[in-house]
Amino acid sequence: MSVPAADQDILARRSEIAKGLKSIIPNHLVIDDDSSMRAFDADGLSAYRQMPLLVVLPETTEQVAAILKWCQSEQVKIVPRGAGTSLSGGATPLGDGILLGLGKFNKILEVDYDNRCVVAQPGVTNLGITHEVQDDGFYYAPDPSSQIACSIGGNVAENSGGVHCLKYGLTTNNLLGIEMVTMDGEILRIGGKHLDAGDLDVLGVMTGSEGLLGVVTEVTVRILRKPATQRAMLVGFDTVQEAGTAVSSVIAAGIIPAGMEMMDGPAINAAEDFAAAGYPRDADALLIIELDGPEVEVDALLERVEAIMKSEGATSIRVSTSEEERNQFWAGRKSAFPAVGRISPDYLCMDGTIPRKALPEMLTRMAGMSQKYGLRVANVFQAGDGNVHPLILFDANAPGEWERAEAFGADILRNCVALGGVLTGEHGVGIEKRDLMGEMFSEDDLKQQQRVKCAFDPDHLLNPGKVFPVLHRCAELGRLHVHKGQMPHPELPRF
Amino acid sequence: MDILSPTSLDEVRDIIRNCLSDETSLSLRGAGTKSSLGNPVVADAQMQLSGMSGIITYEPEELILVARAGTELTEIEALLEAHNQMLSFEPFHPEVLFGGTSSGTIGGMVGAGLSGPRRIASGGVRDYLLGFNAVSGRGDIFQSGSRVMKNVTGYDLSKLMAGSFGTLAIMDEITIKVLPAPETSVSLVVSCSDLASAQAACSQAFASAHEPTAACILPRDIAANVNLGGDAFAAVIRLEGVEVSVANRLTEMQNLLGPIGELHSLTQELSANLWRQVRDAAFFNETHEQIWKLSVAPTACVGIVNKIKTSIDASYFMDWAGGLIWLAGAGERLGADIRDVMASNGGGHATLMRASDDRRQNISVFQPQAPALMSLHTRIRRAFDPKQLLNPGRMGA
Repeated sequence: MSVPAADQDILARRSEIAKGLKSIIPNHLVIDDDSSMRAFDADGLSAYRQMPLLVVLPETTEQVAAILKWCQSEQVKIVPRGAGTSLSGGATPLGDGILLGLGKFNKILEVDYDNRCVVAQPGVTNLGITHEVQDDGFYYAPDPSSQIACSIGGNVAENSGGVHCLKYGLTTNNLLGIEMVTMDGEILRIGGKHLDAGDLDVLGVMTGSEGLLGVVTEVTVRILRKPATQRAMLVGFDTVQEAGTAVSSVIAAGIIPAGMEMMDGPAINAAEDFAAAGYPRDADALLIIELDGPEVEVDALLERVEAIMKSEGATSIRVSTSEEERNQFWAGRKSAFPAVGRISPDYLCMDGTIPRKALPEMLTRMAGMSQKYGLRVANVFQAGDGNVHPLILFDANAPGEWERAEAFGADILRNCVALGGVLTGEHGVGIEKRDLMGEMFSEDDLKQQQRVKCAFDPDHLLNPGKVFPVLHRCAELGRLHVHKGQMPHPELPRF
Repeated sequence: MDILSPTSLDEVRDIIRNCLSDETSLSLRGAGTKSSLGNPVVADAQMQLSGMSGIITYEPEELILVARAGTELTEIEALLEAHNQMLSFEPFHPEVLFGGTSSGTIGGMVGAGLSGPRRIASGGVRDYLLGFNAVSGRGDIFQSGSRVMKNVTGYDLSKLMAGSFGTLAIMDEITIKVLPAPETSVSLVVSCSDLASAQAACSQAFASAHEPTAACILPRDIAANVNLGGDAFAAVIRLEGVEVSVANRLTEMQNLLGPIGELHSLTQELSANLWRQVRDAAFFNETHEQIWKLSVAPTACVGIVNKIKTSIDASYFMDWAGGLIWLAGAGERLGADIRDVMASNGGGHATLMRASDDRRQNISVFQPQAPALMSLHTRIRRAFDPKQLLNPGRMGA
């Protein structure tokens, strides 16, 4: 994976650019010394490190607008960054680009229970929103596992998910409005406390656009009343196939659990070693099924789910009887990554999605690939929605292992696409999966996406080098090829 | 006018390429049920899409359905119902407001992006469109999205397609997420002395842990017409799910809302009938010259309607706990007045859902956007349809 070569002219203008920025925002908001900039040299995909040209930390929307407008006129690139927890390199700096940190946008602006929404600045953490409203019995539903650190603005950029997506949706389904700044420095307000923004759904296309279309400076999100009851069930199976069928049977019975997670044998044992959550070590597949809602409903549905699990051949079933026990059930799953970190010096976390029915086939293929690349793999899945998170175990200090791990990961994602799935379910494309985009999209598909980019940022100044493997100039993309007089379907009526 | 009736995406592409060469603009038509919705279109020819129909894939356990754009909505709804599943967003059925017998096509449903009562609880058309393939106004075949629930690969162009009124591209295969239908559904009617308390009942219901899936407000005249009690505003709260849970939540909801007004509940059949009427705005009739739809913050509906009523004779009711105001009235100033009142009461957007061609020529059917945003919308449209061949002028510029 490579980032585009730095523009030498821009590098040569570094001190002039710093001076220019200091003329439009207060001096202390422009960071240009190496030791302070070091904190921004990578995001959650820490294998890629790069010092930015400069860092700016604006405090107001007007400052963001002034910075973008100035950079547009000076043709300087910008990389927006929330909390820097991206797992795909969405906020990896560019050597010839300014890193625009939104960490100072850290206030909750309004809580409106009657309209069930919170208005917040983008640097507020995902969990910070829930913390603000939880004493009154509310919460914000999307719960990416980085929720303690990741910012809500970053969630919008990545369309972050979490383990409860099946029932509660991703960020895009819980976002009501934004204020954003385009590369030309225009401040736009889209949506708000009302539903749908009217005319084209720009809010929808901004969500998950990975910082390539605009910089979000305020968000309005839907909050929900906390469910009266949450209970979880731990179910062991002898085979992953049986567990997969059991998941489909739950959905087929008309039940949409709040979460349905699956772990394979290696993941079960690593998690059990680490968290002692009480997982059945002899099982080859473990399901964690969580139901939430009114108490009588949860009780009724647990009974039905238990019956389904028994008929699908479950070898062990435990139902949480207290909040403590429910948290214990989840403790293993939630510590799966550090747990795997203990049995291997390094691991690479993948994030594809496949149709749920393809899960057994995917696992068979994964076992084959594990042999081929000579690397172990542990699997955790969001089984309800087919989001797979294989953890590839490797040792970065062993020669060639990092390259093999990367190749293994790419192979897994190719297989996801081949089975009818996608390259990324929630981590984003970033730089990590950029060069695989051609596996899922044709040249014409990618060009149409880039034309949308051109509508927002015609000079490719916002977060370039991410998402798209080949950058086409907007003028080239806009050109029409009209073949006058060609009539490939003569049978069709003509004008 | 020439009518073109392609049956495949390749044929659509060839037609568009020919249209590009002689700059022939096209109006797009599915079942034609919503042709009077949107700004009037003047086009050189018409593309008829009913030849691209049929359900391609339906996998209940995977919660997905793939259908071609020209497939009748009722065919899809009947198939889902047979499997105890549904389109969760309760799509608007246009025949009630616009006449005719068809409920339209799935392509038209996505293009118009009109969602019903459950929108406030579990999302709209935009939230359930997982992917599609299409031909752009550039004459290129492209696809976006996929058949899986969780996907962040590339820009989410599905969002742009939903509600774009055929101004970006011509879709063929549409992939929709479906959900299990609730086993039981009942409604609780709260008779309220005024609009403010009816809206408060809706907000309280949604702020509770009793998981309502819809809430509407009917003023005295409509409430009386549909036999929802005497001289009072009716706030109607719908509860759905497993029977034992619904019964339990109904009791809880009665305890919660009892202090606001008299209560009675509707049986499953009466409830289903009422929500269909709410979904389709069936309370209005052909005598109403203009029918508007306003999307606002739920609590803002009280101030907006009370203000409008001081100067305008209008009929109205609300869905989405007050967040969707359906309003019927007459007169040249009506639209401008509605938009002025809305702008000074927290904002939102107002769409003219039904009026004569003449009326729609003279006012923007869709909410005008701020200039910078409008210009972005235009650039996005040109990114798909640079020559404005598709439904020119129907929405935006």
